[in-house]
Amino acid sequence: MNSLQGLLYGLSIAATPGNLLAAFAGAFAGTAIGVLPGLGPVAGVALILPLTFSLDPTAGLIMMAGIFYGSMYGGSTTAILLNIPGESASVVTAIDGYQLAKKGRAGATLTIVAVGSFVGGTLAVIGVMMFSSLLAKVAILFGPAEFFALTAGGLIVMSRISGGTLASALLPMTLGLMLGTIGQEAVTGETRFTFGLPELAEGVSLVPVVVGLYGFAELMLLVEDRIHAANRPESVAMRDLLPTRTEWKRAVPSWLRGTFLGFLFGLVPGPAATLASFASYRLEKATSKHGSEIGSGAIEGVAGPEAANNSAATASLVPLLALGIPFTPIAALMISAMLVQGIQPGPLLITQHPEIFWGLIASAYIGNVMLLALNIPMVGVWVSLLRIPHYLFIPLLLVVSVIGTYSVRNSIFDVWVLLAAGVVGYAFNKMKFQLAPLVVGLILGPNIEKHFREALFLSQGDPWIYVESPIALTVWLLVALILIAGFIARRRAAFAGAMAQESSL
Amino acid sequence: MRFRLNFHLMAWAGFALMAGVAGLSQPAPAADEWPTREITFYVPYAPGGSTDPISRKYSELLEKQLKVKVIVENKPGASATIGTGAVIRAKPDGYTIGLGSSSSLAYQPLEMKGLAWKSADDYQSIAKLSDLPVILAVPAESRWKNLDEFLADAKANPRKLKVSVSGLRSVNDIAIQQLNKLSGLRIVTVPFTGGGGEATLAALGGRVDGTAGFAPGMKGQIDAGKLRVLAVFQDGKYDLLPDAKPIGETPWKDTFPVGYYVIAPNGLPKPILDKLLAVSKTIVESDEFKSFLKANGYTSDPKIGDDMKKELAGYDQKFREVVKFLDDDK
Repeated sequence: MNSLQGLLYGLSIAATPGNLLAAFAGAFAGTAIGVLPGLGPVAGVALILPLTFSLDPTAGLIMMAGIFYGSMYGGSTTAILLNIPGESASVVTAIDGYQLAKKGRAGATLTIVAVGSFVGGTLAVIGVMMFSSLLAKVAILFGPAEFFALTAGGLIVMSRISGGTLASALLPMTLGLMLGTIGQEAVTGETRFTFGLPELAEGVSLVPVVVGLYGFAELMLLVEDRIHAANRPESVAMRDLLPTRTEWKRAVPSWLRGTFLGFLFGLVPGPAATLASFASYRLEKATSKHGSEIGSGAIEGVAGPEAANNSAATASLVPLLALGIPFTPIAALMISAMLVQGIQPGPLLITQHPEIFWGLIASAYIGNVMLLALNIPMVGVWVSLLRIPHYLFIPLLLVVSVIGTYSVRNSIFDVWVLLAAGVVGYAFNKMKFQLAPLVVGLILGPNIEKHFREALFLSQGDPWIYVESPIALTVWLLVALILIAGFIARRRAAFAGAMAQESSL
Repeated sequence: MRFRLNFHLMAWAGFALMAGVAGLSQPAPAADEWPTREITFYVPYAPGGSTDPISRKYSELLEKQLKVKVIVENKPGASATIGTGAVIRAKPDGYTIGLGSSSSLAYQPLEMKGLAWKSADDYQSIAKLSDLPVILAVPAESRWKNLDEFLADAKANPRKLKVSVSGLRSVNDIAIQQLNKLSGLRIVTVPFTGGGGEATLAALGGRVDGTAGFAPGMKGQIDAGKLRVLAVFQDGKYDLLPDAKPIGETPWKDTFPVGYYVIAPNGLPKPILDKLLAVSKTIVESDEFKSFLKANGYTSDPKIGDDMKKELAGYDQKFREVVKFLDDDK
């Protein structure tokens, strides 16, 4: 079956009323899960997993995939409106998104995000459909040394992701890395820095840290600064809901770059969607024509990452469908659903169960159209939420975040983490430290360590393993290149600045 | 106007939430009426491995038997001791039960200090769900066509052949170490994380010489001709993979499968315990459960209550011997 025949066959499956309903239910639930801070897609998929056992396997998987990419649409809403990321893949969206909202462009930004998510999701499905078996071979080429290069190199490159001085980024990043060492060490299961608390054995979870750092800290700033609180759009006219011509124009290249980058991240293990959004933000800063505006409310800083996280969510179907190996917790849940229903995941899935493979692909096309249709009209509703006085709306949202955070692991401990992260976030804001590097450190730290140790186990202690493979070496050279280029660019700017000053004297 | 509407909606949502919370704090009914509300089944592993599907199948059938909802909750971490501890420390009211494995129940107490259980006396044995044998597979393009060739090579090259396993001292690691102990061979195990997926990936990518794992996660690759199965660590033929040579046909037949069990905290009221044992017996002996086991490569070996406890006590001794071997071999 070639791609076109496959797609037509898939459409004949995905377009049955039951599967259409499953796609819609997944997309809708995903959007809601994304919008609600604290509740992330993993918890959402885990919640509906038992439900899928009574469904036809294809319908169940369509619904689960719908939740995953649906949550990528919804996650940015509160990030843009209130600086509270709905889930971890929307952290970077908050940086420029919130600035844009303050300028009265909330509606336009939400529209750019919805369309960008659609572009990222749809292009990624095309990629999955055309190249999945080829891409699966690429995934096999990556071992511990290559992953170590990607994650450790990524940490270095992303250290100054949100601008500011070097120190204002490195201190939070170090704190993030240190937090990442708490709990069970991945390879041996040894527990560290837990002070005998069983809750800490699983480590510090990302969701309460993110919601606390951004959300709770934001509330404290609002409470402290009434003028700041009054600084919100009084009314949003219809034309403000739509992006301007320039905004559309500026978003398109960012969408495409984000989609491409996100797709690559979806193929490797780890929190693909979150990492993809961070990497895309960094890429926009480096390559976009308006790179210097990013951080103070540039549409590129929102368009790129949001296309990237959707693309990554969709691309993570490749290792799942073509290899039968889960790279993300959501893919693991989907494999569980297949096994319970008696379907053997693996390279033969596409021939043994074409209805699942092509049904999922076709439903992803349909699901993305549904999500676009669902999210564009919602823009007006979301923006009108801004009219609710902040003193009512934010406390309510924070109550929702506490419930969401608690519900992920039924852990009151996570709620304390949420509150503590809020205090840290507030203090860091006051002291002009950057928050995003802390999140990057917390996400990447455990991954870096894990791949570092796995590589040494594999080479039986020989450190050359880190640079022996061509892929790892290439990654390290790229990292060095980016660092040197950045250094030269800064020196030049400083030199030019000094010259200008001199000549004005 | 729109603002008003939303505000009302939120007020309703808040009210519904409070009503929900209030609903949780009802007084506990008597033991002989059990169960009157939903039961939580903890799985101490992340989904995606061999533990999650079997837990969900058992829970699904338990739900049908008891006519209440059974919520499966994954509580992974610390080599399954977090979720197992959560069951053992739970209130013995029959509303919290969970999965245990031969590794989490009998092996981990030897490695970790301060766990809530040291032996099978510290928790209530309910039912053994199944055994799952470890299998050894090599990449399809590798030079070993069968187990004998692989072992001959391992003998000629001590500490050279590498086999990936899903975590240091996981059951598949222990199975290889037991083979090392009995045979005098020295096959190196390379631990990976991520529930066996990365260990399989390492073999597919040729970074290790073979991989030891479980059939549910590897059968897809074997069927597709990407991996070749050499051995199964059990006495007789493995129906799911008849090409695998049973380790029972080698001189080093004493081996470990991973066993999956249902446990509860100690001190369950008698009526609840009796009912739980009875329905569990019905489930593990049912055709539906057995055909699920067969289709997914698990071996059915129903043992209820004290029979299960005896088996775990036996594992305890065998594990002690392997630990001693590993310490001496350092």
